[in-house]
Amino acid sequence: MDELDRSRFQDPVYMAQRMAACEREIQKGIIGQGEIIRQVMLAMLTGGNVLLEGMPGLGKTRLVSTIGKVFDLSFKRIQFTPDLMPSDVTGTNIIIKNEQGSYFSFERGPVFANLILADEINRATPKTQSALLEAMQEHTVTVGNVSHVLEAPFFVLATQNPIENEGTYPLPEAQLDRFMFKLLVPFPTREELKGIVALTEGSKEPVIEKQMDGEGLLAARTLVNQIPIADAVMDYLLEIVMETHVPNPYIREGASPRAAQALIRAARAKAFLEGRFNVSFQDVKEAAYPVLRHRIIPAFDAISEGITEDDIIKKILDAKTALAGR
Amino acid sequence: MEQREFLKIIRACRRRMHIADFLKKSVSALSIGAGAAILFQAAAFFMPFYYADLYMMMALLLAELSVFVVMFIKQTTMEQAALMIDSFGFEERVVTAYEHLGKEGTLIGIQRKDAMEQLREHKDRIRIPLLPSFKRTALLFLMLVFLAGLSLLPSAAKDRAGELHSLKEEAREKEDEIEEIMEALEKLEKEKLTKEQQEELHEMRESLEASLSEYQQAFSEEALAAASQKLDYKYENMSSQLSEIIQDLQNGAGVSVAAMDSLEEMADKLKEMSDTELAKGDGSDSGQGESGGDSQQGQRGGAGDGNGQNGQRGQAGNDQNGQDGNGRGTGSSSTPHDYVSVPNAIADSGNLTGNVENHDTSQYFRAQTGLNWEGTHTSYEAVIGSYEQNAYEGIAAGRYPSGMEEVIKEYFASFND
Repeated sequence: MDELDRSRFQDPVYMAQRMAACEREIQKGIIGQGEIIRQVMLAMLTGGNVLLEGMPGLGKTRLVSTIGKVFDLSFKRIQFTPDLMPSDVTGTNIIIKNEQGSYFSFERGPVFANLILADEINRATPKTQSALLEAMQEHTVTVGNVSHVLEAPFFVLATQNPIENEGTYPLPEAQLDRFMFKLLVPFPTREELKGIVALTEGSKEPVIEKQMDGEGLLAARTLVNQIPIADAVMDYLLEIVMETHVPNPYIREGASPRAAQALIRAARAKAFLEGRFNVSFQDVKEAAYPVLRHRIIPAFDAISEGITEDDIIKKILDAKTALAGR
Repeated sequence: MEQREFLKIIRACRRRMHIADFLKKSVSALSIGAGAAILFQAAAFFMPFYYADLYMMMALLLAELSVFVVMFIKQTTMEQAALMIDSFGFEERVVTAYEHLGKEGTLIGIQRKDAMEQLREHKDRIRIPLLPSFKRTALLFLMLVFLAGLSLLPSAAKDRAGELHSLKEEAREKEDEIEEIMEALEKLEKEKLTKEQQEELHEMRESLEASLSEYQQAFSEEALAAASQKLDYKYENMSSQLSEIIQDLQNGAGVSVAAMDSLEEMADKLKEMSDTELAKGDGSDSGQGESGGDSQQGQRGGAGDGNGQNGQRGQAGNDQNGQDGNGRGTGSSSTPHDYVSVPNAIADSGNLTGNVENHDTSQYFRAQTGLNWEGTHTSYEAVIGSYEQNAYEGIAAGRYPSGMEEVIKEYFASFND
């Protein structure tokens, strides 16, 4: 791909091509996980944060570092543990002594970066979790009476292990809602595993090149927000969200209005990544799973019958698709 | 691709969708209509239901009419047409472009251009099926064939329905006629009439109301015939009553000419109706019956042969004075009459019967309860009076075939002359 042309940041076609190039570049450093890469790209394009759920060693850190390289963004990794303090995340005021005397100075924590990997976020106490969640939501960090604005673009990729629940502090629903996507990282296939081994254990690391920068990413976000949506598609999208509130034996609580916003943005971003400047029904359908799965609270019936959030979403989508005749 | 061409494609698609929708809805609606019509026809097959064919046609017409109404109310919109085009792999490009046609913006412009290009390149993808599904059409066809079969297949219930319908029609005509007369009676000037005359008119009205009620409850041919006979008798009575009233009024000369005219008109009308009914009855009845009786002590023995045909009363034949007499009357017509009423009060025997156009089964017998039976002495006037009274009661009760009443009346009238 050619050098990044800053003068064309307002050109939607060019920007869509650059974003597609970014996706391809990331795939050079990550074997398999194409869908995860796509969803992470969507979240980045819309300014959302992602919660990754999967076993350790599936390449989450590698994914974030690769994204950092491709987008030329600063990257920090925070390992969440029970004894991690909020100040360990946000930074703290420290006393500086010099010739002029002593004074407090704010020492920035690891949250001051463009890309944050919050590893095993559910191992930290709720107090520490909330410190990060303020940064995620407001893009600011408050220490004492002073709020510090985080540099844009700011993107958090948090992980949690689905099996080791002992000694963890599961994220409450209200905090889960602040993540735009919840992605389930699958175990790679045999072929993918072979590729991963060859890539990581080989003598030659793939060269990851910068394809975009933070400014370009913000310009792309602005373009994504302008993508027109047909009334029928918007109705379909809203119906899906509303359907989670219709009495259903498998749903205890439906999705929040934030889900509708996230769904619109994700569908737009998906269309943009595909070089299309309108949202299709398919875009909405595909975006529905990562957007809704952590926003629907399953009822006891669903849990006892082994019905997952994805099963519920699939049922809703199937019903709505049948009604719409698509 | 220009905007005009873009819209033209959507409009063409909309037109095609409209036609396809119309055909699809027509097949569905006609299937429902045919289902309902099959029920009507099936019902008509087993029970008297004269209007089954009419209802069948109405069900089908109503079904199709509802399609027109629905199509008029729910017309295919341009957005729907654009969405339909999008379903052929355009990923909602067309509908988005259509909805944002009047808007400006970089992305909107690019999107519109993209949609038009895609549409131009892949226009051949758009294939909207015009005809409804084969299964549904075949089902409708089979239903219609079945319906036609049911409609054409004869059945006893259908024949019965036809008969009942003609009975009802006849009864309705009579009801109208009675109502007309009642109305005319109502309009008559009553101020100049005496109380007795007014009473008579009131009785006439009540009598007609009773007839009206009889017609309304006449669900069989027999009931209708009986009601007709009674009515005929009433007409004649009323005619003569009115004539008497007119005569009285003429003598009194206290009534206006117009009122007199209307009374005369009414009397003539009733007479005319009475005559018409008789003519109808004579013309439509056929059969041969014998009536007879020995009159051993009678001053006048009547023996007469008469033929009645096509509404003309049979003429009394030989009229002799004699101790013994018997009477025989025949009547025939091209139209069959299916029963013969037996005047039991006169010739009290249930064996006296006659069948349609079966002249051989007529019987002659000796009445056991003749009023002037051997051994008793009864005056001529009493005999005739009693016979006449019984005969008229029989007529009023509808015991005689409609063709015979006039013969009976003529017969008794001849004694009075």
